[in-house]
Amino acid sequence: MPLTPMDIYKLLPKTNCKKCGEQTCMSFAFKLLNREKKIEDCKPLFEEKRYEKQKEKILEILKPLEKATETGLVVNDELCVGCGNCVVVCPIHVEKDPYGMAIGNGPNIDNPILRVENGKVKVCNLSICRRYGKNRILCVVCRENCPSNAISFLEG
Amino acid sequence: MICTGCSCLCNDVVVNGTRIMNACIKGYRHIAGAKENRSEAKIENRTVSIDEAIEKAIEILKNSRNPIIFGLDTTTLEAQSLAIRLAEKLECYIDDNSSFCLGEIVEAIIKKDVPSTTLDDVRNKAYVVIYWGANPYTSLPRHMSKFTYYPRGEKRPRGYEEDRYLVVVDVRKSETAMLAKKNAKFLKVEKDDELVDSFLLAVDGKAGKFGSEVGVILKEMKKSDFNVLFAGLGLKYGISNMDRFFEMIKKINEKVAPLYLLPAGFHANMRGFNETLFEKTGFVNKYSFREKRSEKEFEFMELLKKECVDAALIVGTDPLKSLPFEIAKKFMKIKKIVIDPKTSLTSKVADVVIPSAISGVECGGKMVRSDGVRFKLEPLEEKEINDVLIFKKILEGV
Ligand code: SF4
Ligand code: SF4
Ligand code: SF4
Ligand code: SF4
Repeated sequence: MPLTPMDIYKLLPKTNCKKCGEQTCMSFAFKLLNREKKIEDCKPLFEEKRYEKQKEKILEILKPLEKATETGLVVNDELCVGCGNCVVVCPIHVEKDPYGMAIGNGPNIDNPILRVENGKVKVCNLSICRRYGKNRILCVVCRENCPSNAISFLEG
Repeated sequence: MICTGCSCLCNDVVVNGTRIMNACIKGYRHIAGAKENRSEAKIENRTVSIDEAIEKAIEILKNSRNPIIFGLDTTTLEAQSLAIRLAEKLECYIDDNSSFCLGEIVEAIIKKDVPSTTLDDVRNKAYVVIYWGANPYTSLPRHMSKFTYYPRGEKRPRGYEEDRYLVVVDVRKSETAMLAKKNAKFLKVEKDDELVDSFLLAVDGKAGKFGSEVGVILKEMKKSDFNVLFAGLGLKYGISNMDRFFEMIKKINEKVAPLYLLPAGFHANMRGFNETLFEKTGFVNKYSFREKRSEKEFEFMELLKKECVDAALIVGTDPLKSLPFEIAKKFMKIKKIVIDPKTSLTSKVADVVIPSAISGVECGGKMVRSDGVRFKLEPLEEKEINDVLIFKKILEGV
């Protein structure tokens, strides 16, 4: 199950104290998932004893986030069969490599986002993924065309 | 290099030390696992030299009254030709896995009974792409991304997004069927015959069991002058009358829109075997050089069942793995020679084992992709002892 801002919000102090620099706990939860904030920025959660249990829970549910790439894209190695669907459908690959990945072949460009290596997809260069950076959009094209459900996104 | 892990013969695989780029998991295991489970030269389970094993094989073949040569689907065209020459010389049976796989489909295509095409044309032009009884996810992992639904093509610049229409026909919702989302249709069928009938009726303007679905698909086909149907094993086993299926293809071509037929793959060079035997005899498999014809009774399994053969030369395949118990028992009684780079159930019980090289990885030659396009292999090394050399020696000896 992808992690939603709501899952995080529920465990925050919900006091809207603004110590994190955000107007509300909800917007903090959003930014946390987008990696614009760190959980440690919520001072009350760490300083006040009464949030101890919530804090532990939050740290627990955030664990997968550490493993995830900066765009929240996670590939499950166990499930991937290296079919290359995700490589071929990625709109960025299509744009940058019209005679390689766009027509079903291996990459002709140096730094594709995803490439198949040793039979599994590897995440190589997220800086050009549409989910990355300031103007990010919630692209799900690669996940939608994976036959083995090997791709997931933390942010749904 | 060209991957010989399945009949897609993907030609964009790059090997960089221990890194194998672009091959799917099946291809990766095929290439990276080349050195695992290697067979050794053996006579009755005793380790011997390769020459001794070949000598013994020659002796068995010479003394056999009714031998069969079986397999050959993962070896090169060159080795297949020599195997056919050997069968001719021994006046024996020759057969491959295609007789219980997609041989009938390949035969119809080779004889030009039904229109067919190449995978490159499919990528560049195909609009409706039908997988019938095929789940490329397991058997041909890159089929959809490299050739059919996903890639962009000359006349299909927007690829699967807008320029293709996917149809998946299967008895269950397979992994491939899961991908039938937008511009796509999944048809769950119990009896393939019923769907064939529905198409035949719809072409004549009548409605069968799948009337509305078939109507939609035919309407999509009309939008294009290039549609393709990939027939898989599920179709072969689900259908009672293959001729009606061919008739369906022909009728759709006459009355609706161009629809090409292609087999949905198999072992790397199965089509090569079919084509090579066809050139020589006019038949694609289950052939007897003594009787100069091809018959259902000359299938490997049938010959074993009726105890018509007394020795088998098995090349690069593992029949014992899939033979029904009663037939396996009969198989155990005859003399068995195995030529294979790898150990298998069959090689473990064989009278003679001759180790060989993996075609495409350890030795070169040519192979035929599932659509009939020929490729010259680009092996990583050239082993001295390969199927071609082994067959040459056996031919000299008998
Ligand atoms: S510091 Fe914590 S409690 Fe205060 S607004 Fe931010 S998230 Fe809410
Ligand atoms: S999320 Fe979109 S842009 Fe990023 S890798 Fe997947 S398909 Fe490409
Ligand atoms: S689509 Fe899925 S299974 Fe195929 S290569 Fe990508 S992650 Fe692996
Ligand atoms: S699809 Fe077949 S030929 Fe292509 S890489 Fe995979 S196993 Fe090899």
